[in-house]
Amino acid sequence: MASREVVHYETPITKALRWFSVAFIIVYLIWTLLPILVMFASSFKDLLEAFKIPAVGDWAGIGVFFEFTPTLKHYNDLFANLNFSSYILNSLVAAGGSAVISVVLGSMAAYSLSRISFKGKNDLFFWIISTRMAPAVAVMVPLYSIFRSLDLVGTLPGLILAYTTFNLPFAIWILKGFFDNVPYAIEEAQMVDGATRPQALMAILPLVAPGIGAFIVLCILFAWNDFLFAAIIGSGGAKTLPVATRELVQPQNIQWGSIMAAGVVTTVPMMLLGLVIRKYLVTGLTMGAVKE
Amino acid sequence: MAKVSFRSVWKKYGELAAVKDLNIECADGTFLSILGPSGCGKSSTMRMIAGLEHISAGDILFDDQRINDMAPRDRDVAMVFENYALYPHKTVFENMANPLKLRGQSTDRIRERVNAAANLLEIGQLLRRRPQELSGGQKQRVAIGRAIVREPKLFLFDEPIAHLDAKLRAHMRGEIKHMQRTLGTTMIYVTHDQLEAMSMADLIAVMHDGELQQLGTPREVYNQPVNAWVAGFVGEPAMNFLTCEVQARRDDVLLTHSNFALPLLPQQVQRLNGHAAGPVRMGVRPDGLSITMRKPSEPVITGEIFVNELLGGDMIVDVQLADARIRVKTAPEFEGVPGEACYVTVNREKWHAFDVENGRAFF
Repeated sequence: MASREVVHYETPITKALRWFSVAFIIVYLIWTLLPILVMFASSFKDLLEAFKIPAVGDWAGIGVFFEFTPTLKHYNDLFANLNFSSYILNSLVAAGGSAVISVVLGSMAAYSLSRISFKGKNDLFFWIISTRMAPAVAVMVPLYSIFRSLDLVGTLPGLILAYTTFNLPFAIWILKGFFDNVPYAIEEAQMVDGATRPQALMAILPLVAPGIGAFIVLCILFAWNDFLFAAIIGSGGAKTLPVATRELVQPQNIQWGSIMAAGVVTTVPMMLLGLVIRKYLVTGLTMGAVKE
Repeated sequence: MAKVSFRSVWKKYGELAAVKDLNIECADGTFLSILGPSGCGKSSTMRMIAGLEHISAGDILFDDQRINDMAPRDRDVAMVFENYALYPHKTVFENMANPLKLRGQSTDRIRERVNAAANLLEIGQLLRRRPQELSGGQKQRVAIGRAIVREPKLFLFDEPIAHLDAKLRAHMRGEIKHMQRTLGTTMIYVTHDQLEAMSMADLIAVMHDGELQQLGTPREVYNQPVNAWVAGFVGEPAMNFLTCEVQARRDDVLLTHSNFALPLLPQQVQRLNGHAAGPVRMGVRPDGLSITMRKPSEPVITGEIFVNELLGGDMIVDVQLADARIRVKTAPEFEGVPGEACYVTVNREKWHAFDVENGRAFF
């Protein structure tokens, strides 16, 4: 891998563009991080303190924002009275379950599509991904009707199935790219060495592991953050965090404190997951892109 | 160790036949090289032996046992792939141990066998590295090591040294040949490089367009090619071909060309077998010709020097004839200058005549 020096010559225009990009990044960071900061801070504030806002133009008054006595009462309320521990469990099971099913079935399908040539393969492959092209809303009503008649509405298996329907085509599509990148000769060598076909597949799994790992995270993210399926298919028995949070907004009473705490509870696990597997995620997702 | 037999083996990909009616008998312990240009069916042949491709028709036998329907793992062959196909996530030791591990050998036995193979290939110090930390030559040794740890019936080498640089390739030719002699295992070695086949093999199978052209020892293939295609493919620099006429004159039969008229030897006349007149393709290797600047007394080809190429120990002189150019191998001391007239003598023991129509060799 040759490293390359990026040659750069400054002109007035590039200088202006550089300043502009710095300014843009600053604005962008404020735009994206401020709400999260407000969410974190407010979740630890009493409601009265949370709504203390300095007057417009009073920049010195900004300190008001940080003057509060931290309290855990919103979190307490969330778990003691609002049953959030079971919603977290629902979210975990729905996201994890669909991710595992999608990746297991997806890697087997992707392996077959990558290795075996048969008539109509390209059409089949396109058909698989085309199921992702329709917006989720478009299939919602028929899906609901089907799930209803199968008694799957409001159950965790129903929700897992719904997420799998959407994750699986994506899994097959992405994982096929990873398998395509593993030279077939490696499996052939395994088979000549004395491996059976399934053993040969197992032997190359470590080579696609970064891809599979990255993909599991994407599946989990999709399911964890989903609101639409959770609200319609999972409503009732399989309430997940986003739906539960939404229900804290009631016509007469918006429970801002609990909403902020619920936001933190929903956000933190995914942020931690992202941080832990960040390096893995990047190698996994770029693995298919660069041919060695 | 095994004897390998091909009985009318075909490989078809749809309508396209990659291997056509292949019949080869390879005795136990033989180093057989399958030689041919890319697309001649040699790799398909090797993959059929390994069990990586189905055999479309015919049978392949190991020691008279039909292996057509056996899985690769049951055939007890060891293969070295063109791109080495090492397992990138495993160390050299684990790569070489893999075939033994898959066959359930004990840890002690695995260690012993891997170390023995590593010593033979002089890669003992690399056992803890991973393939991406190795040079091309080292990877190639590891791939060979993985093949020899197991004492298989048969070695299959698929252009294993094609990607090495020229110097290392020459070195590895000797090493592989020596290794095969030491182990005594039957070897089938696929290559497109005629020099590799000539220098290493006991038996060469020359293939072209899916058909076996000639099966013989390197000497036979070089000295008695069965047709013009084999004659042209084997040998470097390549054989010279000239279209000549056969003419009977008094008690001689002559091979005539606008630059010469040379009599055939009596046994060659016999081999022409009725083809007493008409065109033939004359073929003669550059080392079957000699060049002088002074006209000798015997019959010669007269031409003009086109260019000289000094190859260190030899010199190749391109000689321009009326309608063709021929290459002559001579000593580097040769002093001819391009543009000068020169005289080329043919060693008539070493020339060949081929049928113009089908390329078959008369002699």
